Amino acid sequence: MLLLSPGKEQWVITDTSNLIVNGSTNINKFSCEIPSYDRLDTLTITRNGKGALLSGNVGLNVQSFDCHNSMMTRDLRKTLHQKEYPRLFIQFLSLNELPGLTAKAQSVTGLVDIQLAGVTRRLEVSYQISADADRTIHLLGFKTIKFTDFNLVPPSKLGGMIKTNDELTVTFHLRIRAI
Amino acid sequence: METRGVLFFVDMKKILISGLLTGCILFVLSYGGLLLSVRFFPALFAEYNNPLFNSDGNRDLLFYLHAFIFSLALSWFWDRFKSLFHGALLVRGLELGLVYTLVALLPVMWISFSALDVTLVMVFSWLVYGFIQAIIAGIVLARLNP
Repeated sequence: MLLLSPGKEQWVITDTSNLIVNGSTNINKFSCEIPSYDRLDTLTITRNGKGALLSGNVGLNVQSFDCHNSMMTRDLRKTLHQKEYPRLFIQFLSLNELPGLTAKAQSVTGLVDIQLAGVTRRLEVSYQISADADRTIHLLGFKTIKFTDFNLVPPSKLGGMIKTNDELTVTFHLRIRAI
Repeated sequence: METRGVLFFVDMKKILISGLLTGCILFVLSYGGLLLSVRFFPALFAEYNNPLFNSDGNRDLLFYLHAFIFSLALSWFWDRFKSLFHGALLVRGLELGLVYTLVALLPVMWISFSALDVTLVMVFSWLVYGFIQAIIAGIVLARLNP
C-alpha cells in the first residue's frame, strides 16, 4: 500500500491516459475516445485536512478524438469547434478525500473546471482511485455533461429527423506517477 | 395580345395551384416516409452523422420547403410538355418519373458521388427517393392538370 506523504506532492500524467465520450442519437449510439495523452503535464496535490487541493491542467487535443467512424469523428470535431478551440481542458481543483492508494479502487469526488469550446463549467466529478504494483496511480473520473451546458448545439440532421441527444457521458482514465 | 396575356395568366395560375397542391401531398408523403424510414431502418441513416450535412438547424426550413420547390418546378415542366405523356394516370406519372430521373437526377447524383464524401448506398437512396417523388408528382399533376 502506498501512502501519500504529508504536504505537497507532484504527479506526472503519463501518455497512456485517455478520455472516452459516450453519447447517443435517436438512431444509434456512439463512443469517441482520445486514446492517449500528447503532453507532459503534472498535477500538484496538497493535503488539506481529510481532503486535498489539486492543481493542474490537462489539455486534450480535440483533433485526437476517434469515434471509430471517420464521418462521425469529423462531425464531433466540428461540433466542438475544433478549429477555434483545438484543445479541451480539465482543470483539477480538489478532492473531497485523499484515500490511501491500494490496488482496490476507492470512490471519491472532486471539483474540476471543464473548458469545452471556450466555455468553462465547474463540475463535481466522481472518481475511482487505485494504485497498481508499478506504483502507477489510476484516477478514473466519470461525469455526465450536456452539450447545452457548454453552449454547444447537439447536432441534428435532415431537418431534425436525426437528433443527437444532449447528454454525454465522459470517462477519463489518468495514469499518473508520483515524481 | 390581350387574349395571350389572359391565357398566360390562366396557365400560370394553373401551374401554381397544381404545383402547390402537389407540394402539399409530396410534403406529407415524403417527410412521413422519411420519418418512418428513420424509425424502422435506423442503420441506413447512421451515415448522416457527417459534417457534410448541415447540423445546426439554420437550414431546416429550406429542407422542409424542398417538396414545394420540386413540385412547382415539375408543375411548370408538366404544363409545358404534358402533351408528350400519354396513357393512364399511373403510366403518365411513371413516365414523368423516369424522364426526371434520367435527365435531372442521375447527372446530379453522379456529380454528387464523384465530388462529395458520401457512400454509394446513400446516393442510390437519394436516386430512388427522387424517382418515387417524381412518380407521385406525375400522377398528381396528370390528375390536376390533364
